[in-house]
Amino acid sequence: MSDTANNKPSTPPAPVCEARHVWTEFGDVVIHRDLNLVMERGEIMALVGGSGSGKTTLLRHIVGLTEPSRGDILLFGENLHALERERRQRLMTRLGMLFQQGALFSALSVFDNIAFPLRELKQFDEDTIHTLVMHKLTLVELEPQHASLLPAQLSGGMIKRVGLARALALEPELLVLDEPTAGLDPDRSSKFVGLIKQIKQTLGLTVLFVTHDIDTLIAMSDRVAVLADKHIITACSLQALGEVDHPFVTNFFQGIHARMERS
Amino acid sequence: MAAASFEIDQDTKGRRRVRLLGQWSLRALDNDFAELKQALQPFFSDPFTQWDLLATEQLDTAGATVLLNGWEGKLDARMQVTDEQRALFTTLQGLRAPQRTGSRIDWALPLVATGELVLKFAQHLTDFVQLIGLLLLEMLYLLRRPSAFPWREFMANIYKSGVTALPVTGLLGFMIGIAMSYLMSSQLRTFGADIFIVNILGLSMIRELGPILMAILVAGRSGSAMTAQIGVMRVTEEIDALTTMGVSRILRIVLPKVLGLTFVAPFLVLWTSFWGLAGGALSANTELGLSFRFFFDYLPMVVEPVNLTLSLFKGVLFGFVVTLVACHFGLRIMPNTESLSASTTSSVVTAITSVILLDAAFAILTRGIGV
Repeated sequence: MSDTANNKPSTPPAPVCEARHVWTEFGDVVIHRDLNLVMERGEIMALVGGSGSGKTTLLRHIVGLTEPSRGDILLFGENLHALERERRQRLMTRLGMLFQQGALFSALSVFDNIAFPLRELKQFDEDTIHTLVMHKLTLVELEPQHASLLPAQLSGGMIKRVGLARALALEPELLVLDEPTAGLDPDRSSKFVGLIKQIKQTLGLTVLFVTHDIDTLIAMSDRVAVLADKHIITACSLQALGEVDHPFVTNFFQGIHARMERS
Repeated sequence: MAAASFEIDQDTKGRRRVRLLGQWSLRALDNDFAELKQALQPFFSDPFTQWDLLATEQLDTAGATVLLNGWEGKLDARMQVTDEQRALFTTLQGLRAPQRTGSRIDWALPLVATGELVLKFAQHLTDFVQLIGLLLLEMLYLLRRPSAFPWREFMANIYKSGVTALPVTGLLGFMIGIAMSYLMSSQLRTFGADIFIVNILGLSMIRELGPILMAILVAGRSGSAMTAQIGVMRVTEEIDALTTMGVSRILRIVLPKVLGLTFVAPFLVLWTSFWGLAGGALSANTELGLSFRFFFDYLPMVVEPVNLTLSLFKGVLFGFVVTLVACHFGLRIMPNTESLSASTTSSVVTAITSVILLDAAFAILTRGIGV
């Protein structure tokens, strides 16, 4: 599998992210069975599924935190785990992840949190880093005076926005969001969705996100990948989801339908 | 798709023209902006250089910022840019410039720092006294409502900080006993005062080393664990959760720890002193030929039993202080990793220091008793 992938000519550009025949097993428990997924450049894809269906595990595979037991995860056409260390580090700067709880470094200020990935590159002087951090702060609509606060002094919505700013610090091609609107009130969450869409336009991102929130799903996604029965049963547009015959999808789609008719 | 690069043209008037090519963005993995900046430095410093950005494939904020900083923040007719790039440069120009804080030497700094230290110490002291007060109030409450006593937590603390500490305290006492007895026996033999090994070992082990060894080990083992535990409970809002359920945090978290360790500490002192004496007796037996029977028969004759009482009292006191210090620092932890590590360190250091200070004070106050 990986051999054919590596020998593939670089044109046309490889999909941003691809899962090929992925199996995940913890002991006897099978989480993913022969899972396949392709993400194209520039799309916003939602990953939905019931609780405990392995969405977060798949997300962790994609960003390289864990490795599937079988099969390959290809990022920009390359298998992260097969690469040598330095190449892998560079490739991982091409993706940004927003964790569910923000995962900000609690001992660092907002400024230092966002500056962290930039400093790690060791290519920029402090003036450049300052400008770039301030740019990311304006991008997520935070004020310059917030830069000196510590994560413990921030509200939930601000933590998400700082987390987003940090994920965007290196202007990645792929942005991975784990429950971006969980814990935000409806107003904040629709604003946050608007923000992500706007940034996606500005920077030309590909976005993959997990959500339980139907409003977020309707507002954001170009395509929906449904994870049920241990694999991706379909990856299609929201409208096309109505024709899929699967108990989870039918149930889920009824909720979407009701919501869409109301609005 | 190509990495960032540039080429130089020279026009007829001798003016240089820098044409930027490729992807001036972080997305091209082979780019190194530090090197690019270095290579462009001679052109940045020449005010007549023309810049042509029309042929770039991509320009992101990182690339643009490096260029803009090179141009000292100015964008004028020398630079040929697309409208899109101009918009990006204008956005970057609009951002607040880094504020230069002057590195003036502040002569008042040592004074200010000392003052802050004193204030901080006073704050700690107030909080500490407050904690003792709260603890006393809870005990008064328990006198009225004995059924509210947290037996499970009390027992759990006895097990965690007492029973599981038995192997390490015993081993340490035994080793110290052997080492001391071994070193002293050779000294005593030169004076022919072999028999005094029992006096010296008995007094030092029972009166001094038993309580001190126990206190240091318990401060390192259980004190740090208590601070970290209370700290994480604060960070994860578990303590707030307890309070909303109507459970007093002092009664449920601090009190069982304090009472548990204070209760078990004298027993740990006995245990440590016993193993210290056993190690000493073993060493005296091999080095000086004193029999075990003689050692332990002779011991109560030369070391007054009141020393044991003092030692047990010290055990109670040290156990109390170590736990109280641990809980005090635990309750002050702020929700970040830095504060957690700093407070745990302070907890152990403060506990050991105060135990040793107390021991010195105790030695002076009781100098007339038992020796």
